[in-house]
Amino acid sequence: MKLTKTHYRVAAGAGFLLLLWLTFFAVRETEFVLITQFGKPVRTVTSAGLQAKWFFQTATYFDRRLRIYNPRPSEFLSRDKKNLLMESYVAWRIEDPKRFVETVGDAVAAEMRLHDIVWAGLSALVGTHDFESIVTVGAEKLHAQEIFDELTQATDRAALAQYGLRVVDVRIKRLNLPEQNKQSVYARMRAERERIARQYRAEGEEQALRIRADADRQREELLSAAYKEAEKTRGEGDAESTRVYSQAYSRNPRFYKLLRTLEAYKKILDDKTTAILSTDSELLKVLMRGESGVQ
Amino acid sequence: MNLLETAAQPPEPPAPAGARWWTPRRIALGVLALWLLTSIYMVPADQQAVETRFGAMIAPRVLPGLHISLPWPIDRVTKLKVQQFQRLVVGGDISDSVLGRTQPLVSQFLTGDQNIIYLRVVVQYSVGAPVDYLFQAQDVARATGAAVEAELARRVGRRSVDAVLTTEKAAIQEEVRGAAQQRLNDYRLGVRISTVNIESVAPPPEAADAFRDVASARADSSRIVNEAQGYSNDVIPKARGEAQQLLEAAAAFKQRKINEALGDAARFNQVAAEYARAGEVNGRRLYLETMEQVLPKIKKLIVDQSGNLDLTIIRKGAEPPAPK
Repeated sequence: MKLTKTHYRVAAGAGFLLLLWLTFFAVRETEFVLITQFGKPVRTVTSAGLQAKWFFQTATYFDRRLRIYNPRPSEFLSRDKKNLLMESYVAWRIEDPKRFVETVGDAVAAEMRLHDIVWAGLSALVGTHDFESIVTVGAEKLHAQEIFDELTQATDRAALAQYGLRVVDVRIKRLNLPEQNKQSVYARMRAERERIARQYRAEGEEQALRIRADADRQREELLSAAYKEAEKTRGEGDAESTRVYSQAYSRNPRFYKLLRTLEAYKKILDDKTTAILSTDSELLKVLMRGESGVQ
Repeated sequence: MNLLETAAQPPEPPAPAGARWWTPRRIALGVLALWLLTSIYMVPADQQAVETRFGAMIAPRVLPGLHISLPWPIDRVTKLKVQQFQRLVVGGDISDSVLGRTQPLVSQFLTGDQNIIYLRVVVQYSVGAPVDYLFQAQDVARATGAAVEAELARRVGRRSVDAVLTTEKAAIQEEVRGAAQQRLNDYRLGVRISTVNIESVAPPPEAADAFRDVASARADSSRIVNEAQGYSNDVIPKARGEAQQLLEAAAAFKQRKINEALGDAARFNQVAAEYARAGEVNGRRLYLETMEQVLPKIKKLIVDQSGNLDLTIIRKGAEPPAPK
């Protein structure tokens, strides 16, 4: 077969396309590209878009996005030797692809390295605090922002220098107690609740008794005050009537004496009384002597 | 061509070359037109789009409507439903609330007073900045969940179990939302958290009955207090009424006494005035009238002034011994 002009043209075109294909490459916003020349890293492309390299160089793509790594929950010992189950998360991304590919290679290996660094950091952190000061109401010691910022920075320094990883954040996701301690916690919670329930009932009783006693006191106060006032009023009535009587009677004491004595007779003398009347008496004089009896 | 076909129908007349519509040139033009059509795209009303050229972002926020870009694969368009809320659950799965189950290990939180409590929190979030949302994190939901969970554990971990169960729920939700949002902004995730809602909060089943007893103790307490209040409300008004009754009775007594005295005095004064005018006669009349009233009722012995009195008569006639 004879090579025609057309054949040459087609071959040249194909070669040109292949050259274009090998030279230009697209970098997405989510990626870094490491350019290697015969296996040796040459440079890192960090800006997205259409980029060029020599056709004999190779481009390797790395995901530059933030990743969340959740290490397995692990137990830590506090300073006073109590166990604490802690779950953390690490937010990280690849920062230096060259170092990354040289030291770790892939994400799983990177997370294993991160696990070691973070575990050591957390362990040191928990070990310098008492359990009571880690789990406490109000003032926060272990959860304080600065402590974790420091831990993050320390982790970041180590990971960046060694593995080319940027650690954006290290945080505790969850605090819990080891399974074997939970039963005693439940027992304590029950006891605490029982105490609170008793307290509620006793306080209710106390308040109820106070209200009842107060009501009884008010009742007594009201009635006795009214009694006092009533007796005073009665006394006033008695006094006034006595005054009225004495004023009237003292104007005519003789007549009063007569009238009152006669009144008294009506009451004193009844059907059981036997009166011995002398014929000489005022009433019977007339009976015995006729008209001459009238004085 | 096989025999059967030839037998069944007459052979088709070959189409004239000029009438063929599918010449290679036309096909090439058609393909080119289709390719150019990929440069036109539409963003629906509830979405926004991000446009990239060779992977680099060139338009961060393309609003709804018809748009033109360079054809595929030079320009690529990613559309996002920015207004749609996405849900994620911390402390369980989405299905948990439907099925009514809890998973102890994922929903247990430790409170500040070292109590264990079961929490399930539902987070709703939407896309805030499409570019960050698309390019900054591998798994946005996972990062959002982690940030919310960390803030939740921190907030629960410094409160007492009673506060978490009752009064502080709303405060925790609000604090967690704010702090987690801050954290996600630091990560530049382009996420906007709209609500953090504590869907269920419960004591552990191992101590649930003790917690219920506290609630009923509270109810008991307020019941007996109410009863006492009822007693008080019954007794005091009655006492007030009784007191008023005493006062009224006393006032009546006083007025009666005074009026009687005034009446008696007036009467006495009237009679005394008459008496003063003719004392002798009136005195006698009064005396005699009284005797008329008194004497009929009593036993009488009339003795002569000069005769001796035999007291035995009296002893026979009357049971009570006569005086002297």
